[in-house]
Amino acid sequence: MKNEGEASEQPDNTAFTQQQLPAWQPILSAGIVIPGFLIIGLAFLGIGIGLFLTSQTIQVLEMDYTGVEKDSPCFQCTIQSVQNCTCEVTFSLSALFTGPVFFYYGLSNYFQNFRKYGVSKDYYQLTGDTQYFKSPRDVCFPYSHDSKNNPIVPCGAIANSMFNDTFELYQIINGTKKKVPLDGKGISWWTDFNIKYRNPSSVNGSFASAFDGTVKPINWPKAAYELDLTDPNNNGFLNQDFLVWMRRAALPQFRKLYRRITEGDYAGGLPAGNYSLTVHYNYPVLSFDGRKKLVFSNVSWMGGKNDFLGIAYLVVGSLCVVMSVVMLIVYAKFKFSDDDDA
Amino acid sequence: MADSKTERGVKWEVRANDHYFHQSCRRKSFLCFRWGRYADNVVRSYKYTPLTFLPLNLYEQFQRVANLFFLLIVILQCVPIIATIPWYSTMLPLLFVLLVRGCKDLATDLGRRRSDGQINRRPCDILTPEGFKTVKWKDVRVGDILQVHKDQVIPADLLLLCSTEPHSLCYVETADIDGETNLKFRQALSVTHTELNGDSVKQNLAAFDGIVWCEKPNGNLHSFKGELHWKGERHLLDTDHLLLRGTVLRNTDIAYGLAIYTGSDSKILQNCGKLKLKNTQVEMLLNKTVLVILLFMITTALLLAVGAGLFEHRVSPKYDVVSVLQRDSSPAYLGFITFWGYIILLSPSMPMSLYITFEVIHMVHCLLIGWDIEMYWEDNNSPAQARTTTLNEELGQVGHLLSDKTGTLTQNRLLFRQCFIAGHIYGDMSKELKPLDLSWNRFSCGGLKFSDQRLVDKLRERSSPECQEFFTALALCHTVMSEWRDGLPHYQAASPDEEALVCAARELGWVFLSRTRETLTISEMGLTRNYQLLALLDFTSKRRRMSVLVRDPGGQLKLYCKGADIVVLERLQRDWPLQESTERALELFAQGCLRTLCVAVRSVPEALWTEWSRTLSQAGTSTGNQETVLEEIYDQMEKDLTLLGVTAIEDRLQEGVPETIATLRRAGLKVWVLTGDKTETAVNVGYACKLMDPDTILIQGEELRQLLESPSPDVHVMSKEPEVWITDRRAVKSKAALVISGPELAEMTKAPEWGAKFVALSDQCQSVLCCRVTPAQKAEVVEMVRKHSTSITMAIGDGANDVNMIKTAHIGVGLCGVEGSQAVQNADFALAQFRFLRRLLLVHGHWSYYRICILLRYFLYKTTAFALVHIWYSFYNGFSAQPMYESWFISLYTTLYTSLPIQCMGFFEQDVSTKSCLCWPEIYSIGQKEQLFNPLVLAITLLYSVYTSIILFFIPMGILQYSALDYQTLAVTVQTSVLLTMTVEVILHTKFWTKYSVAAVVFSLVAFFLSTLALHSTRLFTASPKDYFFLGASPNAYSTPEVWLTICLTTCIAVLPSITIRALGVVLTNPNKHKIHSSNKPVELKSWFQRGTLQRRSSYAVSQGKGFGKLITTGVGLPSTAPPQDRRVTADSLKKESPQGSLIEMNSGDVAC
Repeated sequence: MKNEGEASEQPDNTAFTQQQLPAWQPILSAGIVIPGFLIIGLAFLGIGIGLFLTSQTIQVLEMDYTGVEKDSPCFQCTIQSVQNCTCEVTFSLSALFTGPVFFYYGLSNYFQNFRKYGVSKDYYQLTGDTQYFKSPRDVCFPYSHDSKNNPIVPCGAIANSMFNDTFELYQIINGTKKKVPLDGKGISWWTDFNIKYRNPSSVNGSFASAFDGTVKPINWPKAAYELDLTDPNNNGFLNQDFLVWMRRAALPQFRKLYRRITEGDYAGGLPAGNYSLTVHYNYPVLSFDGRKKLVFSNVSWMGGKNDFLGIAYLVVGSLCVVMSVVMLIVYAKFKFSDDDDA
Repeated sequence: MADSKTERGVKWEVRANDHYFHQSCRRKSFLCFRWGRYADNVVRSYKYTPLTFLPLNLYEQFQRVANLFFLLIVILQCVPIIATIPWYSTMLPLLFVLLVRGCKDLATDLGRRRSDGQINRRPCDILTPEGFKTVKWKDVRVGDILQVHKDQVIPADLLLLCSTEPHSLCYVETADIDGETNLKFRQALSVTHTELNGDSVKQNLAAFDGIVWCEKPNGNLHSFKGELHWKGERHLLDTDHLLLRGTVLRNTDIAYGLAIYTGSDSKILQNCGKLKLKNTQVEMLLNKTVLVILLFMITTALLLAVGAGLFEHRVSPKYDVVSVLQRDSSPAYLGFITFWGYIILLSPSMPMSLYITFEVIHMVHCLLIGWDIEMYWEDNNSPAQARTTTLNEELGQVGHLLSDKTGTLTQNRLLFRQCFIAGHIYGDMSKELKPLDLSWNRFSCGGLKFSDQRLVDKLRERSSPECQEFFTALALCHTVMSEWRDGLPHYQAASPDEEALVCAARELGWVFLSRTRETLTISEMGLTRNYQLLALLDFTSKRRRMSVLVRDPGGQLKLYCKGADIVVLERLQRDWPLQESTERALELFAQGCLRTLCVAVRSVPEALWTEWSRTLSQAGTSTGNQETVLEEIYDQMEKDLTLLGVTAIEDRLQEGVPETIATLRRAGLKVWVLTGDKTETAVNVGYACKLMDPDTILIQGEELRQLLESPSPDVHVMSKEPEVWITDRRAVKSKAALVISGPELAEMTKAPEWGAKFVALSDQCQSVLCCRVTPAQKAEVVEMVRKHSTSITMAIGDGANDVNMIKTAHIGVGLCGVEGSQAVQNADFALAQFRFLRRLLLVHGHWSYYRICILLRYFLYKTTAFALVHIWYSFYNGFSAQPMYESWFISLYTTLYTSLPIQCMGFFEQDVSTKSCLCWPEIYSIGQKEQLFNPLVLAITLLYSVYTSIILFFIPMGILQYSALDYQTLAVTVQTSVLLTMTVEVILHTKFWTKYSVAAVVFSLVAFFLSTLALHSTRLFTASPKDYFFLGASPNAYSTPEVWLTICLTTCIAVLPSITIRALGVVLTNPNKHKIHSSNKPVELKSWFQRGTLQRRSSYAVSQGKGFGKLITTGVGLPSTAPPQDRRVTADSLKKESPQGSLIEMNSGDVAC
């Protein structure tokens, strides 16, 4: 039957076609599995203990300054009619708060992660593209134009809702207030400051005229080019507070870095004593049951204070150890009964 | 007139040579509409035309729920208000899926067109006004007169008008239709024979203007009802006048026929079921699961939408930042919008890329089947071939194997292997035969597989009268007809057994030369002798023997008889010698699975003959039950026999069949044999190929009917052998086999509840043999098994008669054998040899099942766990359909990041090695019991994915809520955890690490990190800020130790249950099981067999009905085979002696089944 002229259809005899590829077939046995579990468990326990202990050394000071309670210092600012309200929050430290100290503000019940809120910003506009100054993208609607149909810059809900409480920290030494210098440089992401956000180039040497024909966001007291008139590198879209705000939070309860305390007498931390914090209370949160917080914290290699992480590691580690013990018992029993059978 | 025709059921009108009449009613079709009466002779198995391809193929593809669903998603994503992720993330994969599938369908269809074209272009001769003209098959029309030459395949169902043979007989081989290889004869009406034949046959045919009225086209191969109206007379027609499409004309120079049914109207094509789209059970379960996921998704989206509405109602009004965004819409409307947003967001949980992966894996598995060198057969240069690429995993789940016999289990070569004469057994069963030197015999044609020089010597020396008598008997006692070609006699027999015996006698010197009605001429060692044939006591299946009564040249009367051992032995003279050695020989032959026949002789005194012949002639004229009377008369003659010897014929099995069947039985498969052949043959083959153990009891006929009629079949099988049942329950359970014949089966299908009982009963038996079944019945049996049992059926066959069952079964396997390629054309898998089935099922099937099940589970897990994270996140983002991941991650996750390792696993994974698969066929039961992919397993998988998604969201959330990290960092953290979890999971699944698997895992991890960093890079952001706004997110996140600690913890907790279960599995399983993995023992199949006590079996399977006996005694068939000088004489004698109209009656016994 075999025809010489006909091409042979004999398949190739290679390891691949014959499914005989050399392969490693790990065969697990109790001798590997039980010690393996034990080792993993111990490793987790080790990491967990380390994390937990580190977390214990981190100091955190949290203060709610929303002013819900009548006796709280900022209660008077919650009344709508008061303009440019200032209130004073005092606290005292019994020991040195080791530096560098990070100064956060926190908001709760605030949905920065709401989808429509999140997309409501114009990346092109924020890269300083003046073309988008005149016609912001649709995603910004309804914060793209004001009632007179002037384009808003920066447009969108995120920018419009920028947090605008400001704080001043004083140490009270013998009744006098000594200002604690707050460092606002470099609190945003490097990529945000250097790439993602760009100011429009100045027109005729005037930065403000680049914004001609646009209006400030409705909720803003001043325009973007007036955010920091003292430092041109901190003005416009490159304002650090603006950048921090624009990087939206993942959860409805969040904190954002406000300042760092790294300078002068306080480079080593906040010494024990009494402090006073002046709050320029502008940002309304009570309408949606929100809360505003101030947080002082120092950090370690693993970040801020986080007991959850350490405890989770400890739990998983001990689970693994328990499992290995259980398996050992089961195996011993199983094996002996097996031997009995044999 | 017309009314009476309707009553008689003959409504199909065919006018010979009337081209215009038929042209007007030709069947035409446009798209899917058909009208007209007569089909043309074109085979169309293709599905698409250039015009219909696109709509039809898209229609078919969108019948798949997932495709339709994703089309919907793409449409939704184009609506800006609800587009939660960009449109391209779904559109591109969908287009890819549609394109790949469309190309595949097109290629398959083109293949079908090609093979159709080959059939349609075959040549045939049609009568035109200018004489016979060669045209193509496809040009044949109803009403054409065709000329068919010897060894040509008949192109359409023809009414035989006349042939060149006397009496317009013609012989056809129907192997392609019913699998029987013996010749059948067809005969034209005497009126057409006499009127049309002659010197001017062409003119006569051209002038023929008969009108045929017959039944409408139907698939019944063995019945045909019709009438020919010609010259004002009406002649009845039946199957004997019909030459069916697909049969081959043999031993007849030219036959002329009138085309009655063409193309799809022809009987064989009516028998071919429709092309059915086959889906595997796994795929069906998958589709159901996808539906469940879809429902779940819609429900979830609905609940989340309600959540969104509530949020809108309760929270937003106070929360001016958000409420302004909602543009003062009502909460209900916003809920509605959010619903669609969530549908889009959760849509990745629908594993669309799963279908494409599924298809790719199937294709690769099919290639691997074709590449397997162990399934390549050098003799006809054919590798195994997977023609349907969607059924691979079902190969690992087959529960019932329904096999054809002829050409599949047996080679259909009957060989004379041994004989027992006068206390000696001649011939041996060894495989290597030293061929005998038969050069002394001028009639030798070769082909004898018998080797024993002792016998040849004895015969040549004429030293053993017993041996001479034995071969004389073989040369005389048969109904074979001879034909002379190249000076050698060639034999035409009604059964291959007879042919084998007569051929063996010829090779050894006792040559049957020719026969006339009254004489038999044989050459005994070169000496030509004429025997006068006095009577032929024909075979019936009831008598199980046949005899001839001859007067030898010396004037002595002798009766030669051959038949099944039981019938012959009880008719021997009392106290016959050599009783013991005969019994032993029979037993020995039975052990070798040889078919035995006993040959005996009786010297008949002249007086007895005179008296007996008188009784016989009286019986011939008597009315009443002639058959019974004849039987009694025959019985009187066939007694006081002297045993001459025993013949042993081997029904050559295909190579490796017994071993294969034994292995498959060990693997838990039920092997059924469905054959058009006789019961005896089937049973014998059943024993020979280890389908049944030697001591298996056969349940058949009345006994079977009783079992089926009884309310509970189980009870009766038990009560059959009560003692044994108690002692060895399992043995009895498997020590029975059911034997059922076609007519019984037909009866059974009428009582529908019997089918269920039959299948239930068969589950307790070793095997089922269905004999004398038509192609349509084969399909019915398959259908019955499919209906009444949950297992997967596989049908295997090699001929056109198996096409129907191949199409009906879950999986059809065609053997590329000698019987033509129709089976292969319609099969899902094509093999060269039956024994390759073992490898196909146990190795490829098992692996496919294992790989695909693991793949599906993993896929479902990975997609649902991935998508469910969105649900948990929505509780923290005001149900706003905020995605948890970057949109690029969503589109790349299934396509790039997690596809390769699992595909590698799908290609290369081996849970057990080839050798172990074959050594321990019991492993195969995993698939039969659907252990790896069933609703329970799926539910666990889905629950596990819910667990994983909870971990994947809440652990990072729990950790990061204390820090000042933003949304993008959380997204990167969760993304990385998801990816690592899925990678660890696939690592846990992989047990067979090839370099490709390692590379795939490494690649997907590297691809993830690199492309994540790239997507978050400055370059892409400056190109398109709105698409790549995750600028800097991953470098920032990855430089934070907290993120890494979180990722590590999340991944570990997510995979911990999976690892623990595997570890517990390792600890709890018996260490011995591991040996299966590592064993390299050679495959020893034989050692497993244990021959039980043997029962002697003998079967006289010489003929299915009556033999040619009556044809011989009346002399009809003889002229063509007798020497030329005899021709005229016999033809004349026939005319005188055979009464008109008796021909039809006479032949019915041979053809009807």
